[in-house]
Amino acid sequence: MQDARIRLLSACLLSAAAFISISGAAAAFIWWLVFTHRLRCIRHRMAVLAAVALFCLVSFVIVLSGGDGLSYLVRMTAILLIGTWLYADSVPGEFPALGTWLLGPKTGFELGMIAGMAMQVADGIGKDFDRLRMAYAQKQVPWGIRVLLPAGRLLLYDALRRADETTELLAVRGYRNGGTCCPRFRTPFCDILAGTCAVFVLIVAFVPVSEFFIHYR
Amino acid sequence: MKIVLDSVTHARPSWSLAAKGTFTPGIHLVSGDVGSGKSTLALLMAGLLTPDRGTVIREGIDKAMLSFQFPEFHVTGLSVADECRSWNLEPEPVLASAGIMASPERPAHSLSRGELKRLHLACLLSREYDLLLLDEPFSSLDCPGKEWAARQIGRRTAGITVVFTHEQSTFPHIDHIWEIREGNLADCGGMPGALRAWERAPAIVKRLVAEEKIPADLTQESIVEAACRTQE
Repeated sequence: MQDARIRLLSACLLSAAAFISISGAAAAFIWWLVFTHRLRCIRHRMAVLAAVALFCLVSFVIVLSGGDGLSYLVRMTAILLIGTWLYADSVPGEFPALGTWLLGPKTGFELGMIAGMAMQVADGIGKDFDRLRMAYAQKQVPWGIRVLLPAGRLLLYDALRRADETTELLAVRGYRNGGTCCPRFRTPFCDILAGTCAVFVLIVAFVPVSEFFIHYR
Repeated sequence: MKIVLDSVTHARPSWSLAAKGTFTPGIHLVSGDVGSGKSTLALLMAGLLTPDRGTVIREGIDKAMLSFQFPEFHVTGLSVADECRSWNLEPEPVLASAGIMASPERPAHSLSRGELKRLHLACLLSREYDLLLLDEPFSSLDCPGKEWAARQIGRRTAGITVVFTHEQSTFPHIDHIWEIREGNLADCGGMPGALRAWERAPAIVKRLVAEEKIPADLTQESIVEAACRTQE
């Protein structure tokens, strides 16, 4: 999807739909199958698998405590897939343009810039993670639960250090607030179609599908 | 013990590397310009990158290590002490060896890049490896730091050590020189004869070779000895 506005709006609608009901999650999953590159849009497969494993663990705990763990698992997995698609399709520099279009050159630009930086941090953490695994392998330290905590501390420290360096760089370049940006967006027909379908997905999330089938019988 | 590059090739859209040769125990220098493919060759030899064609054959090598150009790529400990311990080393002797005055409790990433490089090399060179691949071991170091690193590397007497560098002034003791020329790894031969075949040799070495004052080694002492040699 090329138009960042439709992409962000679609992601919000689909996430909301998946969160609201299991039928919304199913519809969001179908949307993901139809309008994205599916598994090819998952950049960090191991991270996604780890997140799914975490969801499985939480849903198991919910089942044990008498709740609907399966519903939680399906909804959270759908939200995760939408998130991975949004992350994979994003292009560096488009968030300031999107923010400026949405909220103007001061607040919008700043929010867009923060969002862009957050994406950079996410990318940086992914690369740091790969390097860290390689460093542990070089030191012949097996990758496992024992090293997860120190590795996590190091990743967090690195992310904070990088954020500090970015702040200094902005200050050195004289940045105070706001910025000028002339956003231009390309909107092909398939983007409009995908966005429209995302609206329908949200509507489906509010439809009580099970009751409909009961009445139909 | 040896590592054989059997017609290894690795290509990217606008660049390719071809390598063929056998690395035996001793200290090898792989020279080449920035972007010539030294780091890629190091990754291939370390087994962290798979060649497009050919094979990298290791014989008698149980313990191998690749030292990356950027020392932060090796850091797994939050503090300097943690980092030393991650190499199974006590911090005090390592810090003394590397000439680092920082507190062991200081975050490792708060060291300057030069200090971190010295810390990394001190940890790395305190251990024994059958194959040690050093990608730009002198980068980020000042002149005394480079001389310290060259002395430490030159002390290795066992195993295969390969130094990948574009450095032109400071070298450890070298047994064999290789050079990457236009995407091909060329074997210049053993020292000191290799100096005649080394196309991108440092200016001082080229001049000494032209004057038939061939240095026995690439260490500063050998270069000075050759430069001061009187023609008979």
